Amino acid sequence: MTLADIKKTQEEALSQIASASTQAEVEQLRIKYIGAKNGLVQAMMKNLKDIPAAEKPEAGKALNALRAAVTEAIETAKSKTGESNSASRSPFDFSLPGNWTVPGTVHPISQVIEEVSRIFSSLGFTVADGPDIETEFNNFDALNTAKHHPSRDERDTFWLDDGRLLRTQTSTVQIREMLSHKPPVRIINPGRCYRRDTIDATHGANFHQIEGLYVDTKPVSLADLKSTLAYFAREMMGPSVKVRFRPHFFPFTEPSVEADFSCHLCHGKGCRVCKQSGWIEILGAGIVDTRVYKNVGYDEDCYGYAFGMGVERIAMIKHGITDLRLLYANDLRFLQQFV
Amino acid sequence: MRLPISWLAEYIDISDMSVEDLANKITFAGIEIEGIEQVGPSLDGIVAAEIRECMPHPDSDHLHIAKVFDGQNELQIVCGAPNCRNGMISALARIGAVIPNGGFKIKKGKLRGVESFGMLCSARELSLSDDGSGIMELPEGTKPGTPLANLFGSCETVFEVEVTWNRPDCLSIIGVAREFAAILGRPLKMPAIDFPETEVPASSLCSVQVKNKSACPDYTARVLPHVERRPSPDWMRKRLELCGQRSIDIVVDVSNYVMLECGQPLHTFDYECVAGHGIIVRNAGDGEKIRTLDGCERTLDSTMLVIADKETPLAVAGVMGGEGSEIRPGTTSVLLESASFCAPSIKSTATRLGMHTEASHRYERGVDPFLTDWASRRACHLLAAYANATVASGSVSDDSRSPDPLKVKLRFKRACDVIGMAIPPEKQISILESLSFRKVDETEDCAVFTVPSFRVDVDCEADLIEEIARMSGLDSLPEIVPSSTIVAGANDSSVRSVSVCRNTLVQLGFTEAMNYSFTSPSVLDAFSTSNRSMRMPLPNPVSAEYSVMRDSLIPQMISTMAYNHAHETSTASMFEIGRVFFKNQSGVYEEEDRICIALMGFAGRSMIDRTRPVSCRESILWLKGALESLAWKLRTPQLRFVSKDIEGFEKGFSAEVFIAGRPAGVIGIIDSAVRKKCRIQSPLSVVELKRAPLLSNVFKTVTAKDVPAYPSTSRDIALISEAGVSNEAILQIIKKAAPRELVGVKLFDIFTGAPLGEGKTSVAYSLEYRSSERTLNDDEVNAFHEKIKDALKSKLHVEIRES
Repeated sequence: MTLADIKKTQEEALSQIASASTQAEVEQLRIKYIGAKNGLVQAMMKNLKDIPAAEKPEAGKALNALRAAVTEAIETAKSKTGESNSASRSPFDFSLPGNWTVPGTVHPISQVIEEVSRIFSSLGFTVADGPDIETEFNNFDALNTAKHHPSRDERDTFWLDDGRLLRTQTSTVQIREMLSHKPPVRIINPGRCYRRDTIDATHGANFHQIEGLYVDTKPVSLADLKSTLAYFAREMMGPSVKVRFRPHFFPFTEPSVEADFSCHLCHGKGCRVCKQSGWIEILGAGIVDTRVYKNVGYDEDCYGYAFGMGVERIAMIKHGITDLRLLYANDLRFLQQFV
Repeated sequence: MRLPISWLAEYIDISDMSVEDLANKITFAGIEIEGIEQVGPSLDGIVAAEIRECMPHPDSDHLHIAKVFDGQNELQIVCGAPNCRNGMISALARIGAVIPNGGFKIKKGKLRGVESFGMLCSARELSLSDDGSGIMELPEGTKPGTPLANLFGSCETVFEVEVTWNRPDCLSIIGVAREFAAILGRPLKMPAIDFPETEVPASSLCSVQVKNKSACPDYTARVLPHVERRPSPDWMRKRLELCGQRSIDIVVDVSNYVMLECGQPLHTFDYECVAGHGIIVRNAGDGEKIRTLDGCERTLDSTMLVIADKETPLAVAGVMGGEGSEIRPGTTSVLLESASFCAPSIKSTATRLGMHTEASHRYERGVDPFLTDWASRRACHLLAAYANATVASGSVSDDSRSPDPLKVKLRFKRACDVIGMAIPPEKQISILESLSFRKVDETEDCAVFTVPSFRVDVDCEADLIEEIARMSGLDSLPEIVPSSTIVAGANDSSVRSVSVCRNTLVQLGFTEAMNYSFTSPSVLDAFSTSNRSMRMPLPNPVSAEYSVMRDSLIPQMISTMAYNHAHETSTASMFEIGRVFFKNQSGVYEEEDRICIALMGFAGRSMIDRTRPVSCRESILWLKGALESLAWKLRTPQLRFVSKDIEGFEKGFSAEVFIAGRPAGVIGIIDSAVRKKCRIQSPLSVVELKRAPLLSNVFKTVTAKDVPAYPSTSRDIALISEAGVSNEAILQIIKKAAPRELVGVKLFDIFTGAPLGEGKTSVAYSLEYRSSERTLNDDEVNAFHEKIKDALKSKLHVEIRES
């Protein structure tokens, strides 16, 4: 084997490859010249040992160049023969199903909680959390619930055998916040609550509430509350939704109101969701009762408001869900609608 | 509470107001009208009519053609009733009238070619009785044209009032009328309470002794030596019925009537059954028994207040009377009780006895303590008028009520600040005065008011401000721009991190589930029974199905997957973020936030590659991959898995998960026995972790690193290891033997099979070397690589495959 042999082989190879017209021919030539086991170049590499020492480096270089040139030519020929065939190949079937992970969905209850939290965060509220197992003080006493108020009954509240209870309202978080922070306090607190209701289409013994609290040393009024809730109503339900107050009673606020939103579906004309009234009862709210301030060690001349709403109820109204139990059935056919 | 409008109208002039207007006005003043009910049929357009002529219809075997006089005209009516005959007086629905039963409107019609100008009606069609056998037969002599409403009473409108817990004064017709009087600015007309008294003083006929004065501030008794038990007058019976009460006889009815009217519960005893004619109000003895009016024997205890004579208890105070002293057919003399009981005492007794009565409902919320005498007189007035009763003169009472009314100060400015409206002081005062508060002192900034005794809910300034707010109309609150206040130091990043976690899981393909916090013990047992004693039971569950708090999210996740598997969804990936409850080491109930992630079926496989069955190995690697992605996104430190047999999981396919070296949860394939029970055929992989360590780093600030300045060089290692050599063990040796230039190790191939021999695994790693100072040359990299190979050979007895 001489350098000339190598050169000749290279010329032959390149010309053959250039004239190959099908993929199969190219593949045959690839095996012939640079196949890993019996390729011509491989064989020549083995023969290198028989070449005189002085010529070895030169020959080695030439062989490497040969391999590189043939490899390149094969690649070029491959793509060329491929191209010439592509006209006869059918195009990629874009109707095949794609193959990537489909995202899941956030539970509608979480969606409401996140949405409400977002809206109130934009008004400077921070989200606070608290335990489900609570003391009677945080759940009732501090919230000015009379000792003989029926909500304390075994019939209504899940009492534990250690004298504590499962909170019946998330207002407990407000008490915790006030006990640990001086005013101003401006929080929103979503969470699970428990009441001994029989579980049916509109009641759950286990449900979610979101409550809000703003307490300050400067005047905070019912008008502030109403405008805050009106902003919330528009953000949550739509720009045309309005709020009205009806006087009501809650032990921990005074004055207390129930807040109705004008129906986001019929715009007040009356429909199934608003029971033809044009209004939907959404929130309980009011001015924090001064007795609550006393119970948490605040100055009784503080000002503040609190409000609360049922998360399931809002989810049901917003999405037209007719049975609350669907929210806890975890049927994927139901959940995956809430993209 | 039910409130018939016609009864309300007795105390306040509302003749010019519509029902809707009334309901609206009081609802927006704080007494909510929850419902408006029409009681009885509406008989508009239906009159008595005389049938003057009745002939058979020529084209029918059962229809008649009648000439009917309705007081004005003679009309032709086609009627199918068998009893239609000449001379009969029946009920005619004129054209335009609506038939109460069925609600259809009468129009001029034609029956088999004969015109009909109205309809003769049966009692059933008019909802007056069930009799539908023929048209109504009205008494002879009934004047044609008389509206049926005059004969059978007109339809009544009844409000369903939602009385909030703080307003027991509105648990009566007069109470609501008083609110209307304030809202409308009209006078309240109180009913008569006068009656003739006999010369015999009541004090000679009975005695009253209250032993527990704090529980019973006043007990007033009157004696009626003679009463006649008769049916009550129709108007009274009707009112009771409209309020949902059954009429018994005049004596019992009057006590109910007066309670509904003014809110003061009354009780009547058979005077002769009160031993020694002496009333004693005392606490019951422990174990003392009484048979109450509902026929049940009640066992009392010393916390309960009873009305007794010198021998036995006669009534459970404020709750229910006893059978022994009940008004009976032979009763001719009555002792009338009108008492004030303290609310918590009655509440506690009613709760302990599991009784809820009209009386206890009012007492436990609070009855005006100064109403006792008025109500007693009102009852005597009615009994004198309708039961021919005689009333002994005067009353006997044991009265320890404080005569001083409560005084509350109001600061005008505070009221304006709290409401958010400038309400002039004189307006504030007039509102309170309209609600029977009396101003006893006034300065420039404030005024002092006495609280009317019926307003048991008012005892501080906030209560007065509430009155002013609701009466001035919440609609008139000014529209202002909502304000935002920044509270220094407030931080809710821990709550927001949950949201990041939730949204990451959703992006990874998982759908959020939500289960109740309580479940049935059998759901928990199906997964694991070893921690039974550490569970948190509910002493008073709503049902056995929900009688224990979950101590793990996994059991309900299994049920959730089983449910979906049974409902057309055998491939699913879900998660739940929730709380679990358990008894901790010191025996105290504790709660913990956790996250549970699960996948079932082909969750990790392409949609067009779902014929090969899923192996456990495949399933668990999907879940582990998802968890690692989550942990990467949440920047959770040092996630590690240590194989361990755990109850409820498939043997060999469970591990404990550590975060930053601390146990944080478990991962594995749910045991096939558990899966079999809930008919899940494919592997179900589940991981449950504590939320706190998983989310500890979510908002950590990123410190940027430079992009590498020099290229890296890769070298592969393939080795054949014996069974039981873990990836982790190999990685540890590689890392220990590696220079700092080793910047990455990737497992890129793994193979087990026949050519290798029993238990052997071939694994291949790609190692990446890089210096931060220069480009590494081949000799350097080869030297690093050889060192790592040597370490693997000597420490693990693995065979390195040279390529």
